[in-house]
Amino acid sequence: MTDKKTTHFGYEEVPFDEKADRVAGVFHSVAARYDLMNDLMSGGVHRIWKRFTIELSAVRPGQRVLDIAGGTGDLSYQFARRVGDEGLVVLADINASMLTVGRDRLLDRGTAGNIQFAQADAQYLPFPDNTFDCITIAFGLRNVTDKDLALSAMLRVLKPGGRLLVLEFSKPQNSLLEKAYDVYSFKLLPLMGKLVTNDADSYRYLAESIRMHPDQDTLKAMMENAGFVNTEFHNLTGGIVALHKGIKP
Amino acid sequence: MIDKKLLSILVCPVTKGELEYHPDQQELVCWASGLAYPIRDGIPVMLESEARQLTLEEREQRDKRKR
Repeated sequence: MTDKKTTHFGYEEVPFDEKADRVAGVFHSVAARYDLMNDLMSGGVHRIWKRFTIELSAVRPGQRVLDIAGGTGDLSYQFARRVGDEGLVVLADINASMLTVGRDRLLDRGTAGNIQFAQADAQYLPFPDNTFDCITIAFGLRNVTDKDLALSAMLRVLKPGGRLLVLEFSKPQNSLLEKAYDVYSFKLLPLMGKLVTNDADSYRYLAESIRMHPDQDTLKAMMENAGFVNTEFHNLTGGIVALHKGIKP
Repeated sequence: MIDKKLLSILVCPVTKGELEYHPDQQELVCWASGLAYPIRDGIPVMLESEARQLTLEEREQRDKRKR
């Protein structure tokens, strides 16, 4: 008797191999208005979370950066400016719609030829060992089916001494904030989604998938389990978002 | 139509082995895994689920060339 493995898609339980397709559906649907919705939902605060990530990355000219689930290119754009002509930024995303929007946006902003695009799966990264100085994954890990597999892949393609930065929704640090956040996520977000993109379901998935994602300490432990050292995390906006960092030994 | 910088750091996601660029078919071929990854609109699609299985003829052709 085969044991059909299941996982979570928000609050829904789905067969393991179905999750990726369901996530794909969400991101094909939200791609066109992705940046607008980010600004609306976070009141522009997502830009601050991303700035903090860039600062902590300590990326220097000539370095190689991999921006996983880079989507519409917010982080890649900033990295490209910092690594310069001798450096390289690879924007990888599993979703073609998000990649297309990302490339169009970056072309509009006039980036140099140092950003490359690849459609790739965080769990099966198509790069040799020891390739990158820095890897970032912003608001992407939550959507990956097998997070441990993805963390191992990231460790592999990092150079020794290279750093991983995971920017992701996490657990609010006080119960009052948590209650307000619950109301906001489950009532307001789907409504915004419906009004702006006529898609309440994708924003319900957002709220649910955040609740299903490991909390600060759990993710730190997962990173250590994958082989990262000097792991740490920073709570942002009361823990609504956390930035985790780890080094490849 | 694919940048050399990118080509130089791409490998097969299945075998992690090197890829051969076929500009006419716009594909990246991994002989070890027998897969050809498409390049769509200049973007390499490095997903096993999107790759094409190399045909027996293609493999035989290659073996012939190697001898």
